[in-house]
This record gives sequence, C-alpha cells and structure tokens, in this order.
Amino acid sequence: MDNKKSQKDLEVSSRRDFFKRTAAIGVTALAGTSLAASQDDPAIMHHVPWGQTWGDPITKNLYGMPSKYEHNVTRRYTKLLASGNYRASIAVTPIQDSMGIITPNGLFFSRSHGGVAHVDPNEYRLMIHGLLEKPIVLTLDELKRYPSVTRTHFIECPANGGQEWRGPQFNSLQFAKGFMASAEWTGVYLKTILEDLGLKPEAQWMLAEGSDNSEMGRSVPIDKVLDDAMIVWGQNGEALRPEQGYPVRLLLPGWEGNLMVKWLKRLDFAAEPWYAKEETSKYTALKPSGKAIQHFYANEVNSTVTSPSPEIPWTSLKDGDVVEIQGLAWSGMGTITGVDLSFDGGNNYVEAELKGLVLPKSWTRWSYMHTYKKGEKLLLTSRAMDDAGYIQPTIDQETLVMGVESVYHRNAVETWEVTATGEVNHVQIRS
Amino acid sequence: MFKLDRKLIIPATITMAVLFAAGCGGANTTTGSANEVSKSDISGGVYYPIIGNKTGPYNVNTQALGMKINNGRVPTANELAAWDKDVMPDGTGLPEGEGSVEDGEELYEAKCIACHGDFGSGGGGYPSLSKGNGEELKATLTNNRYRDPEADGPTRVFGSYWPQISTMWWYIRDGMPHPMSKTLTDDQVYSLTAYMLNINEIEIDGEEVDDEYVLTREKMLKVKMPNRDGFEPNIDGKNALNDVRVYFANPANFGAQKVKPSERCMTDCQDKSAKVVRIENGGISEFNPPYNSAKDLPADEVKAALNVKEVYANNCAMCHDNGVAPTVGDPDWSRLTSKGMEAVYANGISGTDAGMPPKGGSSLSDADFKTVVDYVINGK
Repeated sequence: MDNKKSQKDLEVSSRRDFFKRTAAIGVTALAGTSLAASQDDPAIMHHVPWGQTWGDPITKNLYGMPSKYEHNVTRRYTKLLASGNYRASIAVTPIQDSMGIITPNGLFFSRSHGGVAHVDPNEYRLMIHGLLEKPIVLTLDELKRYPSVTRTHFIECPANGGQEWRGPQFNSLQFAKGFMASAEWTGVYLKTILEDLGLKPEAQWMLAEGSDNSEMGRSVPIDKVLDDAMIVWGQNGEALRPEQGYPVRLLLPGWEGNLMVKWLKRLDFAAEPWYAKEETSKYTALKPSGKAIQHFYANEVNSTVTSPSPEIPWTSLKDGDVVEIQGLAWSGMGTITGVDLSFDGGNNYVEAELKGLVLPKSWTRWSYMHTYKKGEKLLLTSRAMDDAGYIQPTIDQETLVMGVESVYHRNAVETWEVTATGEVNHVQIRS
Repeated sequence: MFKLDRKLIIPATITMAVLFAAGCGGANTTTGSANEVSKSDISGGVYYPIIGNKTGPYNVNTQALGMKINNGRVPTANELAAWDKDVMPDGTGLPEGEGSVEDGEELYEAKCIACHGDFGSGGGGYPSLSKGNGEELKATLTNNRYRDPEADGPTRVFGSYWPQISTMWWYIRDGMPHPMSKTLTDDQVYSLTAYMLNINEIEIDGEEVDDEYVLTREKMLKVKMPNRDGFEPNIDGKNALNDVRVYFANPANFGAQKVKPSERCMTDCQDKSAKVVRIENGGISEFNPPYNSAKDLPADEVKAALNVKEVYANNCAMCHDNGVAPTVGDPDWSRLTSKGMEAVYANGISGTDAGMPPKGGSSLSDADFKTVVDYVINGK
C-alpha cells in the first residue's frame, strides 16, 4: 500500500543520513515557493503587547487557570442527554484536544444521577459493614491514613458510542467517543482495608452506595473487590473534583464508570447481589434474543483516531505535507498490545506505533506517519488489541451478537471519512 | 518470588473457584507484554497478580500487604440502622407498611406528574414509567431496528423490563422525588409502588392491582415481575460468581472477538457487501457550547467591565501605596494636575523617567487607563 510505503520512506533515514537530508531539505526550502514568504510577518516585525507591559502579578489566580485563549476547550453537553434538568445527565470530554494519557481535572467528563453533590469533608463518613467480623466507620482523615496507591486508569461510561448502534449520529469525536477520560488516581486498595475487617466466607457481593440525592448504588462481585478495587481521594495530584465524587469515590479499574460510585458513603457485604436501579433499569445490554446482559463489567478493547477527526480536519494540509495520524486505544480488560490502522475503512490494515507509557486498563497513545496527497479520499479506521487476547470487532461482527438496541458496551471499529477537500466525517462501514 | 495477594482474606473455596474458572475459561493468553502472567478475571479480562514486588508495571508497597491497620471505629447500632437501609429482592431491609393505589395516584399527581407525565408516560427527557401492560410489552424486547428507522424498538420501562419490584420501592424512597429525595414516608412509598404496579397492569398472585388495592410488605414480596427471567448471566445463589466467570469467559456471549495477534486479518478483511453508511438528516449536532476551535478571547472577556480597584491593586499599589509615588487621593497630586490632566494622562500612558512604567505595566486601552488615573488622583 502507498501509505505503508510512505512510512517506510520516513524510516530509512539512519542517524548518519540525517545531516545530508537536512542539507537537502534546506536547499529545497529556499527554492520552494511554498516556504518563501512574500511579506514580513507582523507577528515577528512588531513588538507584541505582552512583550512591552507587565504580566500578571503572581498574586493573581492563586489557583491557576488555563490561558483565556483556550476557552473553547471545554466539556460539552447536548439536549438529547438532558434527563432530569441536566441532573441525571452527562457533559463529555473534548478528547480531540486531549494530549497524552491524562485528562485535566476540569475537562474530565461529568456524569451524575442526581446532580453534582458538594460534600463537606468534615462531615464525610464512610461506613463498611455487612458480612465482616468487624464493621467500621471512617472519617476522611482516618481513610487517608491507610497506605496509598497511585495508578493511572481511564474511566469510561459504558454508553460511550452507544448512540450509534444503528448508524453514525454525531459528526464529532467529542460526542462519539468522549464519554470517558483518564487520570492518575490515589487511594487505598479495598483489600488493604479488608485485611483488618475479616471478610466472612459467605460474603460474595459488595454494595457501593453514594451519598448524593440519588443514593446511586451498584453491586460489585467479590473478585474485583479483592483484585484491584480502590477507594480513591486523589485525582491528578489534587483532591477529587466534585464532579468525580469529592471527597471519595470507588475505582474499579477498567470497569463501567457507573460502577465507580461517587460521593461514596457505604460499602455493605452480602451473600446476594442487590438489584439496584442502575443495574436493572439501565446499564443492562439487551440482545436480539430479548435477554439482556446484566452485571456487564469491563469496558472492552477500543480505539479511535483523534487526529484527524471531525473537529480537526485536514483542510489546511498541502500536497506532500507529512502529518501524524494520532489516536487513543484503551481496554478495561488488560493492556493494549497493538493498534492497526486502515486507510480503506477496514479492508486492509497496517500496524501503527504505540507511544509513551503503555499501562494496564489505561489510555494508550498510538500514531502513524502519513504523507498527504492533495485530493486523496480516505476511510481511516483503527483497530486495537489487548493482552487478554481481544481485538475490536467489526460493526457487523458486534451487531450479529448484540443487535442494535443494547445501548451499552459498543466497541466496534469506528471510521472517519477524509474527503477530497480534507473535511472529516463520521461514517460507519457495515453490511 | 510469587506472592498471591488474595491470601488470608479470601476463603479457600472461592480461591478454588477462581482458579477453576480461569482454567476452563481458556483465557490464559500471554502475548508477550510486559505483564507476564495473565489469568482471566471475572469480567473476562486479565488478572495481574503481585509477582515479586510488582503488579503489572506498578511497584507495590509490600510492607503494607497482609498488615492489619486498625483505623476508624465500630459504628453504633443506631448508626448502622440509619444507613443500612438498602432493600433486597428477598425482603431484607424492606420495612412493614402499606399504601393504596388510590393514595398512590393522588401522590403521583401531586409530586411526580410534572416530570414523569400522565400515567407515567414520561416526557422532557425524564424516564417513562409505563407504556401499558408490562407482560404484553415484554414481547417488544426482541424488537431490533436494524435497518428500518420507522420500526418499533423495544420498550424498556418498569413493567416490561425491570426484574425486581424491590428496586422500585428502594429507589422511590431514596431517590425520589428527584429534587427533594428521602422525604416520603414508608407508607407513601408503598402507595406509589402500588400505583406503579397498577399503571403497568401487573398482577399479584393472579389478582389485579386495581384502584382499591392496598399493597403491603407481604404482598409486595409475592410480585414476580414479567421480565424476571430476562437477564443473563445468572447472579443469584451460591453459584452466581462462577456463573458470571463462565459467562464472560466466552466472548460469543457478549459480542467480543478474540484472536491470536499473528492470525488477525490484515488484508482483504471486509465482506464484499460492506458499504459506507453516513449520518442521516444531519445527525445530532446540538452541542452546548457549539463546537469552535478558535483560540480567541471569550466574549465576556472582550467586554468585561473595567474593575478600577483591581487594576490598582495589581499594578499600581506596590509603588503608589508605598511612598514611592503619591497614593490614591493624595493632595500632592495637585502639583501635577495643575499642568492639565492631558499631561498627566500622557505621562501615565508613555511612562516617566521617574519610574512610572507605561500604563503602570497594565495592558489596558488608553480610555480605560485614563479611568484608572482619575481614580488614583480623585480617589473615586
């Protein structure tokens, strides 16, 4: 494939060739019309206002804010998902603007079932009881006294992409895949606390319950509780944001965001699960048989191209421009082992390269270098794999089993169409 | 050194079950990642045990393993009773009480109808609570709108979908009415639950829940919801955890795909019938705020009112309040203002050799800066 060749071309350069090539490029640049400016740039020729006056004193913004010029980088919401006067609703992360594998706390997607609660940390109590030798109540200070663990994990609403089972709906990366975000979380392993409390043999389920007005609760199987479940209070080096359950939430790495109960108030251990509202009426995936999957836990392996995207088109690219196709891959079932990229909507694939830290149940960055041909039409499809052995299904493979009414856990490959003018549209390839 | 972090706190029987499930699940995939040992967890994912002092790529504080840390205190009986109020399908946590359909309807019309609509019909983004006879509507759960947008989809409301009635009772008491939750009495919750059964036409022990019906704890425990058996995997009883493990060990159950990396399709992968499907009718594009990639100043910043005192505090005070230059309203200003305000403004805007920075170091417009000068001289 042409695109494979273009990657190869870029790879041939050894370090020894670097200086030769640089010299050659220098000559081209001087001779080439595209790089020769006909006028001096005023941004260079004039003094800029911020270069001639004092900046802000350090006494301003003692809690720092992004540049005023970045005000368009925000969470967004839509009326379609406006339940409960935006109290049982979601505002989604601008992943088109995300860098690396950490989401700034102010951009972390916000989903609640009774509004964002504002908990007074002085009145915060966590009760842990049920089938234990010893029930306890902890204040926030007492909770934080446990040995802490810090890990990087994404949290994904299992309805991420769930509006698009029957066809593409959102011409937007933010809304098509932004029901998720990632952070470095600090807290304590639940198993560390349980060492002290003595779990009884018949304790097979745990109820996690929030203190918000919806009293959001979910049943968690004991396997997860004793594996990597955490009670967290830290998010990217500071306290959890109210939208993330300040002061304390449950973290179940890789699993449905809904299970990671916020404003956490109570953990109850029992022999049977609870049938809470959000594990019966919602967060259950209806199959064509009429049966619905309940207790659907891990978010499956998934990926998306983040650049280009409908928000980041290629309209300003010139013929021959070298551009990095970038994306995210993630799996709630393990560690990303590879990402493939297709230029024809999933008929033929080449291997993309993973970048930076590759962590379990975490966002993973990938990229592929591409030489843009003016007027080329592409169908960009990414496909990720994880170390549990899973690979993203095609839309046809996934709908064959799940139908198109299941709402949750959609992880089929997604496609961006790049038009001849460089616009990018959300499309799907299906039979 | 292999150290299993489930020791001590997990009963031997469960440990056996975990090992068994992982073995028969066939999910022991090792693909050469940095995380050496892979064993299936309950969700079908990888389990990363602590090996040496690491779990996956993370170092572990091994000193903290297996240590009893006695934080907190035992709750009092009253505290437990105050918070341990969850309601389970078998009646655990469900208090005695009673309520009639008639009272429930009255209460519904007073407190619920504004959001949930007449007879639970829904609206305005709030969930529907009924679409008619629950048992009959259950048949719609096999509806799938594959290619026909006009077709009827499945109806997932309380009567046709929810597996347990305890969920409704529990959620009404703790989560409803949405803006003032936990304000209903137990009897009121029974009334509303009775009304839910009524509008969904669900029978109890073959008896219709009509307008005269009075629901009690005993009667509620006899309710079998129409879709009670509509869910998988099994989560009830002693084998539940193992049933869940076995279910998620089979990707065919939940639409996932497994493949050996070396055997994945790289060329000519698509069915010939595959085609490009585009967004129809413009799709959903009502975003708030509307998408905009511009790197500019926000509208409110552009026309933000000038806060003179703030400008003074941030830019002027360190000299003008410290004797380096005349302070706000200082009579000494008359020495300069006697030469005319225009001269004072000009000095302020361009700065002076005596140490006044241009515009005091601010980035104000000339007009705004003059307003600040007026404040410094006149004190208002």
